Amino acid sequence: MLDEHRLTPASISKLEVHGAPNTRRALLDHVLKPLVDDSAAPGTTLGQVLDRIGEATRKLSRFDIFKEEGFNVFLSEAPRPEGAPADRTDLEVAINVKEKSRLVFTAGTDFGNAEGSAYTNAVARNIFGGAETLSINASTGTRTRSAYNATFSTPINGNPDLRLSVEALRSATQKPWASHEERLTGGNLRLAWLTENRDTHILSYSSVWRQLTGLSTTASPTVRADAGDSLKSALTHTFVRDRRDNPMLPQRGYLFRAVSELAGWGPLQGDVSFTKAELEAQGNLPLPLNGASLGAGFRFGLLYPLPTGYSLTGTAQPSRINDRFQLGGPTDVRGFKLGGLGPHDGADSVGGDVFAAGSISALLPLPRTGPESPLRLQFFANAGRLVALSTKTKSKSKGKEGKEGREGLAMDSATVFKSVKSAVGELGNGLPSLAAGVGLVYAHPAARFELNFSLPLVLRRGEEGRKGLQLIPSYHSVSGISSSQHGP
Amino acid sequence: MTTIPSSTPGWSKVQIPRPLQRLFDLFPLRAYEPNHLPERSQQLTSSSLPTLYIFTTEEDARLGLPSFNPTCLRWQTLLRLTGLEFRVLPSTNHASPTGALPFLLPARSNSSSSSSSSTSPPSSSSPSQPPPPPPTPIPASKLLPYAQSHANPTKSSHPATSGDRLFPTRARAYVALVSSHLRSAWLCALYLDPSRSDLLDALYLRPASSSAAVRAALRRQLRKAAGEQILDSAPAAGALQSGSGSGSGTGEVGNNKSRGWGWSWQEDGTAINPRAVYASAREAMAALASLLAESKTEWFFDADAPSEFDAAVFSYTHLMIQYMSDGEEEAGALGKMVRRAGEGELARHREMLWRFAWPEGNGEVKEGR
Repeated sequence: MLDEHRLTPASISKLEVHGAPNTRRALLDHVLKPLVDDSAAPGTTLGQVLDRIGEATRKLSRFDIFKEEGFNVFLSEAPRPEGAPADRTDLEVAINVKEKSRLVFTAGTDFGNAEGSAYTNAVARNIFGGAETLSINASTGTRTRSAYNATFSTPINGNPDLRLSVEALRSATQKPWASHEERLTGGNLRLAWLTENRDTHILSYSSVWRQLTGLSTTASPTVRADAGDSLKSALTHTFVRDRRDNPMLPQRGYLFRAVSELAGWGPLQGDVSFTKAELEAQGNLPLPLNGASLGAGFRFGLLYPLPTGYSLTGTAQPSRINDRFQLGGPTDVRGFKLGGLGPHDGADSVGGDVFAAGSISALLPLPRTGPESPLRLQFFANAGRLVALSTKTKSKSKGKEGKEGREGLAMDSATVFKSVKSAVGELGNGLPSLAAGVGLVYAHPAARFELNFSLPLVLRRGEEGRKGLQLIPSYHSVSGISSSQHGP
Repeated sequence: MTTIPSSTPGWSKVQIPRPLQRLFDLFPLRAYEPNHLPERSQQLTSSSLPTLYIFTTEEDARLGLPSFNPTCLRWQTLLRLTGLEFRVLPSTNHASPTGALPFLLPARSNSSSSSSSSTSPPSSSSPSQPPPPPPTPIPASKLLPYAQSHANPTKSSHPATSGDRLFPTRARAYVALVSSHLRSAWLCALYLDPSRSDLLDALYLRPASSSAAVRAALRRQLRKAAGEQILDSAPAAGALQSGSGSGSGTGEVGNNKSRGWGWSWQEDGTAINPRAVYASAREAMAALASLLAESKTEWFFDADAPSEFDAAVFSYTHLMIQYMSDGEEEAGALGKMVRRAGEGELARHREMLWRFAWPEGNGEVKEGR
């Protein structure tokens, strides 16, 4: 019956949008004009028209300027002019929307990633009527002593899935795992787009003045040697494909994330020069038992020092602590302290240039609460290796060419290649540092808590495992892309 | 002090039942050798000698040449006089435990060096025992006692530093001449005089960052701090020119032609008059020169060997001659001022101390720009 109707020829003779007084006509035209134009083509069916209307309203909602519940679409048959052919139905479409508040102030507190913070946020939406957003943030917390940022973002060409944004930021963050504070002042320009199959791409250029300061009295020589100023000027591309059914408590689906960064090389200038790549893959499979699932994840990262300027074979400087990777922590590799893996100088976790980490976990529903509840019993094991690039690594094989012959820090390209290769090889030297445990997971849409009991099984001396119980609050599990989310 | 994530204060107080503790002690089941420290860290911090962190260039650091910062040079000179063997590393104030350079980091104890030379299997008794902690830094105020207890006794041939290091009572009266008059003149000439901004860039800003924007921000901070320091010691230096008419812009270099002077500095509405700063430096140099002339030895206060006071004077006279010998004396050619003070006693004293503390330097004193 309905199918029959869907196949009847139809076109749109008139389309009205109500309830968008602050939105520019041009923006709506970008989304809705094709709708009207396409339907004029002969052979268009009612079903096609309905599908396109649905698509257009979803697109409108991705601008994030209309209320989710405010969308209403009314169809009516247009009065047929005298003598017109009756071979198709002319429709009048009215789309009712409700605009979101143009100015929103929020203040609140956040807990997660071993930090508590208080924030205030002001968002001006749809400033010029074209879904432009200005967001101003100020926050202070236990670890982030202060952070201010202002972001202006606008869709390009009336496309909610293609956004350009400019951000200015200034922050001071304590890094207790390495006894210092990092102050950042800088900005970035980013272009983010959502492909048709919901993959996210972000291309950004950032220029940030980093000041490593406020060392604690017990700071290690490594941290002291890296204290001071540096400018990082970098191009970054991020790709995210998130096909998980529920990011907080995934039962099915996978996540793939790839970040590549080029800093300091060629026209980028700046004080640090390297290329960096980071991959993350995560998959989840439901088990036959209702509500039970199996998850596995793998991450890999590599930092490759580059010469400054346009040369590829010139000498390169070894990495600094604020460019190296950190590994370990409740939301990272469980059973280890924050930055607990990898090279340590005394109590300081000084980071590494290459890492690999894997985890496997089973989520089981609890007998009393059942699969519908957000509570799960979890068994997990995770392992990781974080290795620093070092010309001295092969000291057994007569490390002549490494340390003694060189003046200063710079490494020639052959040395860089050799030491990166040996660092990657070192990943597989012996068992990886490993921890396993059991715990409870509570996943609310807005927050996720884990209470785990874990024990480190294998580690390197100096690495900081965590024995016993650990409560892990986190308010979002995928960090890094949340600030650029667009669309539902 | 920030918390160090090495202990969990809340939980550690809870008594863990004995059997559970015994179970916990079994873990980790296997502990490998520590990870290597990163390349930068190995190159910079794994010396077998104590390391003095000072303002210097990478090349000068390798050769052990004098720092271009008076305070650092003073301590560097003193340490050399004690016969302590050490190396120097270019650094910034951010690295220092006191917020200002210099400081000394003793060598890592042998076992803590993260070389992979020891490939023996992990000892079963304490598999998770961390490597020994890295050395703690020694601030400038504690340098001398440290140097004295660690100096190579055969090399420490300088009685003045192994004996009574403290300023003689007489010296204390003259310390202000150095720490306020000479210092203000140095700060004024290097930081505030716009004609020396190239020198300031070369010494302090270019090593910090290659970015012009970062340097501009740092330059502003440095100039402001220098202006404030001069004002702090201004009553003694007589550098003030209270509340001049145009003085609303803070920390700005202004051209004030009406005074017949190239430039002046406005700091919180108070003008710093470079001419007055330099004049009081000249008086201080004259006083120091006549003090030297009175001394029965070539060092201050009849000492047989250079003392801390000699090092303090040297740290300014040396740098002034090296970096500020060009131009007019009134325009901050402090090197000329040093040479002309008294009958050249200060310049001779500087050369003597240079040879004394840097005997390997072939007695050749670098003549400055």
